[in-house]
Amino acid sequence: MSTTAPAMTGPAAAPAPALRGRRTERVAGFAYLAVAPTLLVVLLVVGVPLGYSFFLSLNRTNPITKRWIFVGLQNYTALLHSTDLLQALGRTAYFAAFSVIGTTLLGGVFALVLNERFAGRGVLRSIVLVPWAMAPISVGVLWSFLFAGEFGAINGLLNDLGLSALATPWLGNGFRALNLLALVHVWNQAPLTALMLLAGLQSMPASLHKAAMLDGAGPVRRFLSITLPWLKPNLMFISIIATINALMAFDVLWALTRGGPGNATTVLAWLGYLMSFQFFKFGEGAAVLYVLTAISFVLAIFYFVVLGPRRGGAPAPAGTLAGLPGARRVRSMAVLPPFRPRRGWLPPATARAAARIGFWGVTALVLIWSAWPVVALLLMSLMPGADLIRTPATFLPSTLTLHNFIAVLMPDTVAAVNTSVQAQRVPFSLLNSFIVGAVVAVVSVALGTLAGYAFSRNAKARTFQAALWGLLLTRMTPALTLVLPYFIGFRVLGLIDTRLALIISYCSFLLPLSAWMMRSYFEGVPLSLDRAALIDGCSRAKMLWKILLPVARPGVVATAIFCFLASWNEFLFALILTSTPKAQTIPVILAGFLSQAQFYTYGPLFAATVLSIAPPVAVAFLFQRYLVQGALSGAVKG
Amino acid sequence: MASISIRNVSKSYGRTPVLHRLEIDIADGEFVSFLGPSGCGKSTLLFCIAGLEEITVGEIRLGDRAMGRTPPRDRNIALVFQDYALYPHMRVRDNIAFPLLQQSIAAETVRGQVAWAAELLGLETLLDRLPAELSGGQRQRVAVGRAIVRNPAALLMDEPLSNLDASLRVRMRTEIKRLQKELGLTVVFVTHDQEEAMVLSDRIAVLDGGVLQQFAEPMTVYREPANQFVASFIGSPQMNFLPGPMAGGALDDRSLLGVRPHDLVPVHRAPDGVLAVEGTLALVEPAGPVTYLDVALADGSLVKATCADPRGHQPGERLTLAVPRHRVSIFDAASGVRTGALAVATGEDSNDMKAMAHGL
Repeated sequence: MSTTAPAMTGPAAAPAPALRGRRTERVAGFAYLAVAPTLLVVLLVVGVPLGYSFFLSLNRTNPITKRWIFVGLQNYTALLHSTDLLQALGRTAYFAAFSVIGTTLLGGVFALVLNERFAGRGVLRSIVLVPWAMAPISVGVLWSFLFAGEFGAINGLLNDLGLSALATPWLGNGFRALNLLALVHVWNQAPLTALMLLAGLQSMPASLHKAAMLDGAGPVRRFLSITLPWLKPNLMFISIIATINALMAFDVLWALTRGGPGNATTVLAWLGYLMSFQFFKFGEGAAVLYVLTAISFVLAIFYFVVLGPRRGGAPAPAGTLAGLPGARRVRSMAVLPPFRPRRGWLPPATARAAARIGFWGVTALVLIWSAWPVVALLLMSLMPGADLIRTPATFLPSTLTLHNFIAVLMPDTVAAVNTSVQAQRVPFSLLNSFIVGAVVAVVSVALGTLAGYAFSRNAKARTFQAALWGLLLTRMTPALTLVLPYFIGFRVLGLIDTRLALIISYCSFLLPLSAWMMRSYFEGVPLSLDRAALIDGCSRAKMLWKILLPVARPGVVATAIFCFLASWNEFLFALILTSTPKAQTIPVILAGFLSQAQFYTYGPLFAATVLSIAPPVAVAFLFQRYLVQGALSGAVKG
Repeated sequence: MASISIRNVSKSYGRTPVLHRLEIDIADGEFVSFLGPSGCGKSTLLFCIAGLEEITVGEIRLGDRAMGRTPPRDRNIALVFQDYALYPHMRVRDNIAFPLLQQSIAAETVRGQVAWAAELLGLETLLDRLPAELSGGQRQRVAVGRAIVRNPAALLMDEPLSNLDASLRVRMRTEIKRLQKELGLTVVFVTHDQEEAMVLSDRIAVLDGGVLQQFAEPMTVYREPANQFVASFIGSPQMNFLPGPMAGGALDDRSLLGVRPHDLVPVHRAPDGVLAVEGTLALVEPAGPVTYLDVALADGSLVKATCADPRGHQPGERLTLAVPRHRVSIFDAASGVRTGALAVATGEDSNDMKAMAHGL
């Protein structure tokens, strides 16, 4: 109170400037304090490992003698001359191009459909989100059995429809396998694109399209002249994200083709994985992954330059009212041709009906595309084990049973006599997944909120801008590049095979995400709220806790959901950093099923997969609104 | 340009009625305002004329064409939106040219016409800017330019001035009026600002709850409001309502007297032919050209009166207020409909007022 006393004596009070000076200083101090934990964590767990793996890439190791030899850039020069790398590069480019184009087109269609008002739109939005909310490893499990040759569901369906001639081992042919792999990736990723495009569409003022309609523009013209330019900034972001996600695609690959048949689907990420973790050539593997990292950085910059915001011209100078029209008039109105109502190919009523039918047709296709594979998975999990290995394959179950679920949820009961070892691990792995996800969500949201607040209130400070872009860059670092240094680091610390190791790793790459999300959310909270709280006697911390956090609750919920889902679904780190059921999460257990696939475990595998996608699916249905919110703030889970 | 006739138009969203049996005829070259509180359906009606919303019942005709379900793009109607709806990625030049480019018009003609519109609105130096680089008033002019450039059958404006600051609003108001006269435009102007409507319009359509309350010339709406709603919506400060018996004579409680504050002045001695009320001065509010006096009547109700010179008036003093009888509207208390005035207006109106002012 004493500080305000001098100010009340009059406007000429001397201490006023000093007071102001001190206040700004304190604001900045608080901001640095708020953002410090996030930056520190990111630096420690992204920066250091990145540096370390770069150092690795300059060495060569002998897997037998475990000797490290410094070779400088030799790993890189050797890579440049290896046909393996060039071929992998070509496949990566093809895979990425297929994915980016596919997700953008498909996501665009989804977004346009979901932007219309129709009965059931909310449900369809949730259904469309499901393929993306699922763990990529679950996606892999699902499609590997849809594509499977003898017993696969697609072939089964073809048999049922009397089209047996078309049935084929889908992943048997190299080039077809690459295409199908990319298609599955698109299936998984298109909803993300759709979400982001939808957010863009919803932010478009309704008056723009109305104005264009009145100006005489038809639907196609409006899409090209109004919608597309409006979405351009979104498209940039989407392209970056889609490209990076395509470059880093690993889980689906692991579950579906493992680089095969032959090496037809060995993309860069897989090559790096093979070198590092199959052949234990850490140096060469790190070099491959560094090439991948460099490519994703370069592409991000390229997109930014090509599609980025055009630099705005000078803002309107004051006093341009001088330009108000005067009496002088040189030109006269041009002689316009008389207005002729347009004559369409179809009578208006027919055209309207056709448009409706077309719209519902597309909507039905969107529904089938998103829902059928999941329904198929659900059906397979409810089939008796014998149904899954019938020849000729058929899609229709002979009967429905909960046997598979009992086998994985209550492995000790009598009903599950012949469960496999893997099935017995399912309940504990679900618990692991849950604990890790919950802790990661809490930690990332707590630190991310602090950092997000500081970023949003200091958007113009140069240090904060730099830090923010630094955070975004960490999003573009392939997880594969980080996993090796993590493995080594955690082994030194004795944390291998603990949940703590997973929690630390997940927090490291989810913190930037949650800071970024919370920043966008706080930007929508008016600054006057901060000021009111401070004037009413709150400290900075209390203001954040008592006033801003309650206001920002939807953002907090969205962020927490994203973080939980991302860690629930994560596969690569869990695979590398755990080796026993003690800390293994559900994706690793699913992968274990796949590795030792035996016919009698198919049923439990599908049941476990269904359990693994249950939380994400529930989230998609219950918190669809928050997911859209998350996408709006530019948040992106891989 | 064309006339617009709205015949028996109703519209409802599901079961919620928004427009109810509207009958409005707008002549070719006329300036008509739709005036009403927010939610009264004025913008909805505008969008119905434009074809952006469908009407449930009735017919809208543009000149000799019945619109039916004609899509907006085939109506040849221009609309200036409240938020201007400038295409954010197009330069001013392209924004203005856009409607012309949708028709097969020679590039040369398009250029000439854009130049004409730019000159008309003083936009010549701004043609290569993006909307984001314009001030509010400039955006507004670009929106008008885009609307008139193709010589539409009618120009609709949806609260086009509401996003401008006060002084600019008055200037743009004058501009719009000038443009309308010069080009002979048929304009339908939606606003909730009664002053805007009074100044601009040839006729005003007052709407409330989707029902047309009155459709008449501005001064008629002001002097002879069709009902209590119009009477209280138009005019600021609001019209005073007094119980019927106060007029003496045959009026009883089933009538209400409507007196505009500007007609009610303090007098020393009430001359003949006026309605006089007595009360205690509660509050003096100087407003520049006039001063408002809040006067408490015997029954405790407050009325607002005006005087030119506030000097000498002190709160607490007893005052006699007078209003010429022909300026007193009579409303049916139950239905709110105006049934007439206390006296027929005579040519001596101004003399009355003068006499009253002298009596002060």
